[in-house]
Amino acid sequence: MKQVAYYKGCLASLSAKELDTSTQALAPKVGLALLDLESVTCCGAGDIHEAEPDYYLHLNARILAYAEATGSDTLMTICNVCTLNLRQADFMLKGDDALRERVNTNLRAVGVPPYSGAVEVKHFLWLVADGEGFELLKASAHKGLKGIKIAPFYGCQILRPSKLLGFEDPDKPWSLERIIEACGGEVVDYPAKVKCCGFPIIQAREDTALGELIQPIEQAIEGGADAIVTPCPLCHLSLDAWQSKLNAQRKKEGVDPLQPMPIMHLAQLIGVAAGLEDSELKFRRHVVSMKPVLEKLTV
Amino acid sequence: MEAATQPREKTMKVKVKIWRYDSQTGERALKEYEIEAPEWVTLLDILDLIKDQQDGSLAYRKSCRMMICGSCGMRMDGAAVLACKTRMYDIVQAGHVPVISAMGNLPIVKDLVVDMDPFWEKFKAMKPWLQPGYEEPPEGKEYRVSQERMNVIHKEALCINCGCCVSECNAMESSPEFLGPQALAKGMRFVGDARDGATVERLEDYSTEHGIWECTRCYFCNERCPKGVDPRDAIAKLGAEAVNEGIDRDMGAKHAKWFIKSTETTGWLRETELVPKTQGVISAISQMKFAMGLAVKGKVPPPFPPHVAENVDEARGLHKLVQQQGRQGYEGIVQGERSLARLDHHLREDGEVPPSEGSVGGMGSLTSADITPGEEPTAGKAD
Ligand code: SF4
Ligand code: SF4
Ligand code: FES
Repeated sequence: MKQVAYYKGCLASLSAKELDTSTQALAPKVGLALLDLESVTCCGAGDIHEAEPDYYLHLNARILAYAEATGSDTLMTICNVCTLNLRQADFMLKGDDALRERVNTNLRAVGVPPYSGAVEVKHFLWLVADGEGFELLKASAHKGLKGIKIAPFYGCQILRPSKLLGFEDPDKPWSLERIIEACGGEVVDYPAKVKCCGFPIIQAREDTALGELIQPIEQAIEGGADAIVTPCPLCHLSLDAWQSKLNAQRKKEGVDPLQPMPIMHLAQLIGVAAGLEDSELKFRRHVVSMKPVLEKLTV
Repeated sequence: MEAATQPREKTMKVKVKIWRYDSQTGERALKEYEIEAPEWVTLLDILDLIKDQQDGSLAYRKSCRMMICGSCGMRMDGAAVLACKTRMYDIVQAGHVPVISAMGNLPIVKDLVVDMDPFWEKFKAMKPWLQPGYEEPPEGKEYRVSQERMNVIHKEALCINCGCCVSECNAMESSPEFLGPQALAKGMRFVGDARDGATVERLEDYSTEHGIWECTRCYFCNERCPKGVDPRDAIAKLGAEAVNEGIDRDMGAKHAKWFIKSTETTGWLRETELVPKTQGVISAISQMKFAMGLAVKGKVPPPFPPHVAENVDEARGLHKLVQQQGRQGYEGIVQGERSLARLDHHLREDGEVPPSEGSVGGMGSLTSADITPGEEPTAGKAD
């Protein structure tokens, strides 16, 4: 078992609890022992980086420091936005001794252990797409997805800027596809899989966001997908919850509603193949029903 | 005589497919070309050779041939590049036949030439000139700007107006009026300039409907920019500076401020309150039906009892401390740029290259000419 500090982030603690429960249930099957972080806060979701970047840096340094205090060398994230925010702060601190010292002085002043730079931030996807994690995933995904057609949706901040993320080619990513196939699913490929879900501006500029999030949904429908899978709970929320708004918009324009497109979290996709319980997968918390997909699996 | 002293250059066979397009007739076609070329050629050299030897009607822009003028932006396999910066050798060795097309988000005039007028309109809207905020120095004297202050706008000043960032901007694709990465990076170039006296006015101007807060943070601009400008970071700097100056009426700014509040109170974002805090009470009421739908699914958790992180007073303490230390606004981002700039080198030194071996699924098919994003003319289509 590899021990990793587990950073849930806001969504999985609150509105996307199903992501937390399925991740927790799946972890031991893919060789991960999750160490809880009780004291950490929100990473700022890119918003604090844009409004008060010095506070953003300190807030993320605090998370990194508590992760380091667990003794693990890995801080595991389950959200794209957390991944970028934490990795960016981590690189800022690791690459500049003077800056790290300044931040550590502030951390000490409020009673937080200083951060020495011994942690690497990794998304759950990266831990199971390759190496030992992937071998264990293959072994545990015995129930399989029986040819269910899955459209991978990466979203932005797990791919770009590649300088800060760097796990795979941001224009030709392969990790989700590899996992879908290892779980016995069939990959539906489409261009918008690397584009934006619109979430960061879904409240402040809803129309612009809707113009973005319709693309993966339309293209996945066109490709005959049964569901979309994403490694990011913000993408999940945007694609799952805002589908109704796309349809409201279409109704106004006199266009037929879209065929409903179920959206799965990555841990749920693997979880289905690995035979997790309903109480762990919690599909009932989704806005767009997963029923058609689950029915297809049982026949 | 020359042949005796200089060994002949090694050549290779280069194949490319080019989306030809004529906005007048609406005709478009994907044409394949094959040409013998020296091993050192760039994409721009290939286009020159094709135009010289095979098809004089091919249209594209170029000037400096050395990554300075910004004329030769175009897409290769759906990704915006400078043709003169793109070497062909590795692509040929990999046996790949790239698809070349015009940039996105701008109307196509012919083949690889786009209409840059909308680009320059936005550029002009930024008032890209210095508006000095000081009196002329006395006769024989001069003002000096410190290196430290110039470092603030070092990256933004590197922009060559090529449009590669605009080509891929996801927000512009959905909302063409968005000022976009190039214009906003230019804005930061002046907001951060010690000699400029119009900072507050500029921040007001850039904070309108299609300004700073319409950026969707897709980071395509940072990924594509051939000069390392990192326009998305420039936009974040403008956001931080606007908030610092109290220009925070925009919903985007309010949204951001609510995140700060949350980290100080419960540690976690209180989503229930996000709508009224961002959009105001009136729109929160009109959003009610939608919100109720989400509430049923537990997507909008009840406000009480909020999940409170342990020791959240530490976050509050940190916020107080940093507010006293004067690295408000863009300073907070600039202070980390040195480390981040070193990253490219580190990654290569460590040999930390992304694992591409064992790649399955998407990659194979996405390189095929049929579905590469953006390979087709995306604007100015005849139909
Ligand atoms: S990060 Fe913002 S400005 Fe840059 S390409 Fe994306 S939406 Fe456009
Ligand atoms: S910011 Fe970069 S990509 Fe955009 S126009 Fe300037 S140089 Fe080109
Ligand atoms: S020709 Fe000038 S930048 Fe390429």
